[in-house]
Parts: sequence; structure tokens; C-alpha cells
Amino acid sequence: MPEILVQYEAEIWSSIGETFVMVGVSILAAVILGLPVGTLLFLCRKGQILENKVIFSSLNLLVNIIRSFPFLLLVVFLIPFTRFIIGTAIGTAAATIPLAIIAIAHYSRLVEQSLLDVPKGVLEAAISMGASVKEIIYKFLYVEARSGLVLGLTTSIISFISYSTIMGVVGGGGIGDFAIRYGYQQFKTDLMMYMIIIMVILVQLIQFIGTTVSRKIDKR
Amino acid sequence: MIKLHNVTKKYAHFRAINSVTLEIEEGEIYGIIGASGAGKSTLLRIMNLLENPDEGEVVVNGQVLTNLTSKHLREARKSIGMIFQHFNLVANKTVFENVAVSLELARFPKEDLRNRVVECLQFVGLENFISKYPAQLSGGQKQRVAIARALANNPQVLLCDEPTSSLDPHTTGEILDVLEKVNQRFGVTIVIVSHEMDVIKSICNRATVMADGAIYDTISIEPKRMLGTDDSPKYFVEQLTKDGGVDHA
Ligand SMILES: Nc1ncnc2c1ncn2[C@@H]1O[C@H](COP(=O)(O)OP(=O)(O)O)[C@@H](O)[C@H]1O
Ligand SMILES: [Mg+2]
Repeated sequence: MPEILVQYEAEIWSSIGETFVMVGVSILAAVILGLPVGTLLFLCRKGQILENKVIFSSLNLLVNIIRSFPFLLLVVFLIPFTRFIIGTAIGTAAATIPLAIIAIAHYSRLVEQSLLDVPKGVLEAAISMGASVKEIIYKFLYVEARSGLVLGLTTSIISFISYSTIMGVVGGGGIGDFAIRYGYQQFKTDLMMYMIIIMVILVQLIQFIGTTVSRKIDKR
Repeated sequence: MIKLHNVTKKYAHFRAINSVTLEIEEGEIYGIIGASGAGKSTLLRIMNLLENPDEGEVVVNGQVLTNLTSKHLREARKSIGMIFQHFNLVANKTVFENVAVSLELARFPKEDLRNRVVECLQFVGLENFISKYPAQLSGGQKQRVAIARALANNPQVLLCDEPTSSLDPHTTGEILDVLEKVNQRFGVTIVIVSHEMDVIKSICNRATVMADGAIYDTISIEPKRMLGTDDSPKYFVEQLTKDGGVDHA
């Protein structure tokens, strides 16, 4: 193992740990809240079973606004909210709040898009069989859209990793922050390169898993 | 079994269905035919309230569907099967799961579910395709799965929207045989929308001709199979040459 990695081993591991916490919370937020928000966006569209212009337009606007913020400004903008929730705006825990919010907005849009790919006829068949809204969602929509949902989550996770790299500004830490502070700012270019390699491997791995799983569950 | 009374359906200011009244008897195979855009599908979809009419009353099996709460409407729909031109199977569910889901929706007892699914698949001749996915089936096989799915809950009515319009004539004949068997074996009232005259003549006891969202005429007919289930090369050659003058090149 290269000398410099041995020298910084402890810091590297803790920065990897921080990245995992930040990305992990983002994934949870995406699945627990982004999935329902995206589903609601889809269902409230014109011509869909819960068609509702007010809910659709407001959610749509909210998601667009969050997504159009330059992420760094979103982090700053959310500082009061973060402080209210976490008690502080600094540190890894605080960093998870803006990450969770962008995660919800990001994944909900991809969920909406995946659900739009489900043939309308399948939902009509579901309705004709007397399925309730909940049954339509769980027994038809998610089943038919599952590979798109997985692929979307994969894309999202990779974006979350990217977003997490700038959380150094609020002391969030993580691999990206480590690479900037030790590698870039202290001119340890080799250390920076190693961190980038770790990120590349991580992204490749996630993409590989995501693509494989989505292909496996796609029977269309 | 099905009564529509002064039913009107508007899309913006366009009347897709214009004050239609009709009655379909129990056990009938009832055809609806007409040009594209005549309103056949819309009329059929009104029979299970997939389209909500703007005016008029829809009565199926003694229940006024247009007066039901959404919960009761969902219950009522479980005894109104429906099949479609493009089958509308769930591509990510196996043949078994596609049929099973309709039973699950009706809270069919779990312990009997498997047997019931197999029974339905046997009826349509697909018991050997249980664990296949729709993508692995031919069009005719997909429509059989859809029929099994629609029959699983012992419906009183089966609504068919162009059920054979994406199938070749031979497969069309086979599907019509299955529908006829459904009608005879279980007494299911069948409503079949088609733009193909041969389909209607093959299977219906009565047929309504639609034009511009209204009923043009309704005729009682003696069903006579127009579509051979013969798909031997000899039959094809006979058909090609029967009106004379074709060379065997
Ligand atoms: N959702 C809709 N919105 C607007 N117009 C529609 C809609 N559905 C059907 N129509 C119109 O209603 C008429 C009847 O359609 P349809 O019942 O599908 O005809 P058919 O099945 O006889 O071909 C057509 O002119 C069609 O364009
Ligand atoms: Mg039609």
C-alpha cells in the first residue's frame, strides 16, 4: 500500500464512513419520501387516477425549485431549518438535512418518469378488476415499473455521492472533502488522486449493481 | 343483465356517446360494431364505469353503477370481467401471478388460490405456461391469460374491447371459440366490440351498429363461424385461389 495512504489511513476510513452516512441518509430519504412524492406526482397528473391540479402543480413547483437551486446555495439557504431540526448546522448529521431534501426532489422526479412508462392499459385492467388506489400502486404500478425505479435510484445514489462531496462547507466531511482539504489544498496530488480512485470505484460498483439488478427483475 | 338508459358521454363539447339506451339480456353474446371513432369502446367502457357518463344510468346485474360509492363500485367491478385489444397483462408478473392478482383483489381464500388459478388456466388451455412471462407468449396465448384473469372471480359479465383485433384470423377463431365456451359453460353474458364484421357474425346473437356516438340499428343474428380455425397450408392456398384466376407461380 502506498506510504501516503498508510499515513492517513485513519482519516481516510473516517471520511469514507462520513460519506456512507451522508449517502445512506440520502438513500433512505429518497426511498421513504421521494418514492411517495414521485408516485403522488404521477397519480395527480391529468388523466391519472388521482388527477388533482392543485396538488400536482404545487408538488411539481416545489420539486423544480429545490432542483434548480445550485446545491451549495441550497445548503446555505437551509441552515436555519437544519439548525432547527438537528440543533446545529455544522457536522455530518447536519449535512444530512440538505442532502435528504435534494434526494427527495431528485428521486421523486425519476420515480414519476418511471411510472409514466407503465402502459396505461395495465392500469385500466387493474381498475376494471376493482383494484383500490393502494392496490393499483403496489400490485401493478410498482411491479411494472420496478426496473426503472431501481435504475432511477442508482442514478440518484450516484448524484448523492456527488452532492455529498461538497458538504465540507458545513463540516460534513466525507471522501470529497478529504480529497479537497488534504489533497488539493495541501498540494498532496497523489492523495487526491487516490481519493478520486476510491470515488470512481464506488460509483462503478453502484452502477454495476444497479444495472444488474434492474436487468434481472425486468421481464418485459 | 346490462341496461344503459339515456347515457351521454362528452369530451369537452364533443358528444362521444349521445343519449344511448340499450338492454343486454343475461346469457347473450352481444356485439357492437361500427366505424373507427363511432364510440364503440367508449360505450363498452361505460358499462363498468371505466368512463363515467355525464348523463344517464348504467345498470349491471341489478346494480345501478352510476349511484354506487367508489368502494361499492370496486366490488361491483369484480363481477364484471374485461379484456382488451392489447391484453394489458402485467409484463413483470408470470402467467400464474397475472391470474392470481385478480383473485387477491377479491380477497379469495389464500389456501384455494393456487387451485383456482390452475383451474382457470386449464380452461383456456395454458396450464403448461404457468411460470412463463407474457413476453414469452404469442398474442393468442396472452389473450387467453387475460380471459383466465377476467374469469377467475366468476363474473356475470365479460366486456371485450376488440379482443381479436391484433390477432391473425386463425388465432382469432381460437379466441372466439374460448369466448363461446365461456358463454356456454358458465352462462357469462358477453359484450364484444369489434370493427370486424366476421368476428361479430361468428359469435354474436345480437349486434348493435353504432355511428357517431349513437345506435344506428340493432339486429338479431344467428351466429355462424366465419373464421376457419384451419391454418393448414392447404387451406391458405384454397383461400388464395378460390375466387379464380391465380397462377401457382
Ligand atoms: N379520452 C378522450 N378524450 C377525447 N376524445 C375521446 C377520448 N376517448 C375517445 N374520444 C373520442 O370519442 C370518439 C369515440 O371513440 P371510441 O369510443 O374510442 O371509438 P371506437 O372505439 O368506436 O373507435 C372518437 O371520436 C374519439 O376521438
Ligand atoms: Mg375502439
